[in-house]
Amino acid sequence: MRAVGMILAGGNSYRMKELSNKRAIAAMPIAGSFRSIDFALSSMSNSRIQRVAVLTQYNSRSLNEHLSSSKWWDFGRKQGGLYVFPPTVTVDNNFWYRGTADAIYQNLDFLRNCHEPYVVIAAGDGVYKLDYNKVLEYHIAKKADITVVCKQLPKEEDVTRFGVLKMNEDSRIEQFEEKPMSSDANTISCGIYVIRRRQLIELIEKNAEEGRFDFVRDVLIRYKSVKRIYGYKIDSYWSNIASVDSYYRTNMDFLKKEVRDYFFCDYPEVHSKVDDLPPAKYNPGSEVKNSLVSAGSIINGYVENSVIFKNVFIGENCVIKNSIVLNDVYLGENVHLENCIVESRDTIRANTYYNGDDGIKIVIESDERYVL
Amino acid sequence: MLLAGGQGSRLGVLTAKVAKPAVAFGGKYRIIDFPLSNCINSGIDTVGVLTQYQPLRLNTHIGIGIPWDLDRNQGGVTVLPPYEKVGKTEWYTGTANAIYQNIAYMENFNPDYVLILSGDHIYKMDYEVMLDYHKSHNADVSIAVMPVPKEEASRFGIVVADENGQIQEFQEKPAEPKSNLASMGIYIFSWPVLRNALIALSEQEGCDFGKHVIPYLFEDGKHLVAYEFNGYWKDVGTLGSYWEANMELIDIIPEFNLYEEFWKIYTKNEIIPPQYISSDAKVYRSLIGDGCEVYGEVQNSIIGCGVTIGKGAVIRDSIVMQGAVIQEGAVLDRAIVAENAVIGQGARIGFGEALPNKVKPAVYSFGLAVIAENTVIPPGVKIGRNTAVTGRTEPEDYPDGELGSGETLDKAGVVS
Repeated sequence: MRAVGMILAGGNSYRMKELSNKRAIAAMPIAGSFRSIDFALSSMSNSRIQRVAVLTQYNSRSLNEHLSSSKWWDFGRKQGGLYVFPPTVTVDNNFWYRGTADAIYQNLDFLRNCHEPYVVIAAGDGVYKLDYNKVLEYHIAKKADITVVCKQLPKEEDVTRFGVLKMNEDSRIEQFEEKPMSSDANTISCGIYVIRRRQLIELIEKNAEEGRFDFVRDVLIRYKSVKRIYGYKIDSYWSNIASVDSYYRTNMDFLKKEVRDYFFCDYPEVHSKVDDLPPAKYNPGSEVKNSLVSAGSIINGYVENSVIFKNVFIGENCVIKNSIVLNDVYLGENVHLENCIVESRDTIRANTYYNGDDGIKIVIESDERYVL
Repeated sequence: MLLAGGQGSRLGVLTAKVAKPAVAFGGKYRIIDFPLSNCINSGIDTVGVLTQYQPLRLNTHIGIGIPWDLDRNQGGVTVLPPYEKVGKTEWYTGTANAIYQNIAYMENFNPDYVLILSGDHIYKMDYEVMLDYHKSHNADVSIAVMPVPKEEASRFGIVVADENGQIQEFQEKPAEPKSNLASMGIYIFSWPVLRNALIALSEQEGCDFGKHVIPYLFEDGKHLVAYEFNGYWKDVGTLGSYWEANMELIDIIPEFNLYEEFWKIYTKNEIIPPQYISSDAKVYRSLIGDGCEVYGEVQNSIIGCGVTIGKGAVIRDSIVMQGAVIQEGAVLDRAIVAENAVIGQGARIGFGEALPNKVKPAVYSFGLAVIAENTVIPPGVKIGRNTAVTGRTEPEDYPDGELGSGETLDKAGVVS
């Protein structure tokens, strides 16, 4: 494909509460066996983008571990490859990434040295499948300067944590508001952009000269009347996980058959790093209802409407309802969990009771297995 | 050197289209994953895999060895099929002959020692410990042996060794065994000894390690030692032992534990999403692979990756391999359903009394109904025990909607 990929994976959000203490949002585990960034990476790989840069900044240890090898997404090639770029001190820069545009600016050399004429910029916190070739075709057909992938949310959905936009009948973006206090529009930006490489370099350089660092505010919003910025609407599944509620909801969406079929069965498939874990095991006493269970888990208790991630041990007489249990969690006997998200590597002692009565409770306990 | 060219004919229709080492095992593995994982876990990163019988699935499974970290700049995994030569061209006629035909491969690496393995056993073993034993005993050949019950010893090749491990005598399936140490078919040779023996025996018809090379070296006065191994080791050569070894994995703490952090078993993960267990499903005492969709009842069974089990289906004491579809209301009892087979709605596999199989009573026994890969079973039919079914079968193939115990229905034409 005639584009390079850039994934903005440096962010943190207070909306993730304690869940982001351990990792960048792009490394959040999703749907039992995946990480959030897998969806953007797989879409790029499946669109035959060969060269992808991942820009990291906030707490990237977990993300780096996940990206330790590029072969799972088929980026281990002579042509192109997968690059992880954290901020670095250089002769003329000693700042962190001060914003999305600054992150790109600090890696302009990467863009200058590419030969692909276009750039696909994507966020690392979206759960979706997208053929970027279609977006690029549309971009070229519209003679656009920038194409923004967008989605119409249901009327009742809260749009105030997104970029909200309005388009004319030709799909050119006329209004764009970032995280408005309130809005009557419900078409939002998915944080996926296609732009000509030379154009991007030019805009980013100009912004840097003027001390502007944010891609949405200083490029999309500021230039919307002088540049041809178009919206590309998608109807397929797309979800942003950057808040506890939406993270919980997105995982629970995978209990629906149509969502599972779309991501797990339909072409193209979503790739992820492979852990060498044995099949899930159901011992006497296990009862599982309407749940996802991942490899390496051993179940001795009752699980309902839940997502069990990899390598989870659930002890006897446990009751797990409407909960998400992340990787490598050990649940002792008689543990009762309802409406919880259990942080990875937790050890939950026997007879513990947690219930998120008024919303989702995030359970964080220490990992006691190697201490006890 | 991993010998993976055998058919494993006692696994019946399971190995009609694949070599035995490529047969699925334990939900997500294939049999060859065990010796390959043992190799890399033991620090052996140069492995030649000798293939001959139906190698396609084996080749695609191994690829360049990524799952086992055997994709190396130096060494790594190499698949070695038989090849054409100037003058006399032949297939691999025996285990040692196969190694003889690949002397050039081993010479490339100028090894000190060569480990000979077979690709059809389930076990975890540190070959490095065996190599240390080989070195410390200044042996020319080390043979891995394991104790077996005295009464069963007459089924094996028995090794008689003195207290230093030096081998005194070999007994092939003896009526009156003098020891209880059975050879496991795992050998470490000092390379010059192996090389000379292979060249000396190059004209031997069907040259075999157990039958020719080891006796030749023994008579030649070479130093042969027995290395005793006391862990779990299972030959899955028959349908009965294959089924049993799978079922043993279900125990709460099985003797052969796949869940240990130490000594992981690696495999090619073709399917990575989690499995879905629906509200109507009942899963009990089972191992279930990734990406399954379970709407029915599963007990005491091993289910491979990407299997769909319809509503109301009941699977009991059975093995279902990757990609199979068990439609609504089908009932499986002591069945082995191979890859991508489709069991129609309400079909019943494994019913009635177990009569001996009429074609191959020695193969299709243990009361198992075996459904070969890509087989289609039409809805509503009943299939008895000690049976084998292959190919796309139609309702007309089942008189009165039944295939009685002991019958064989071979639409794919693979049962000879």
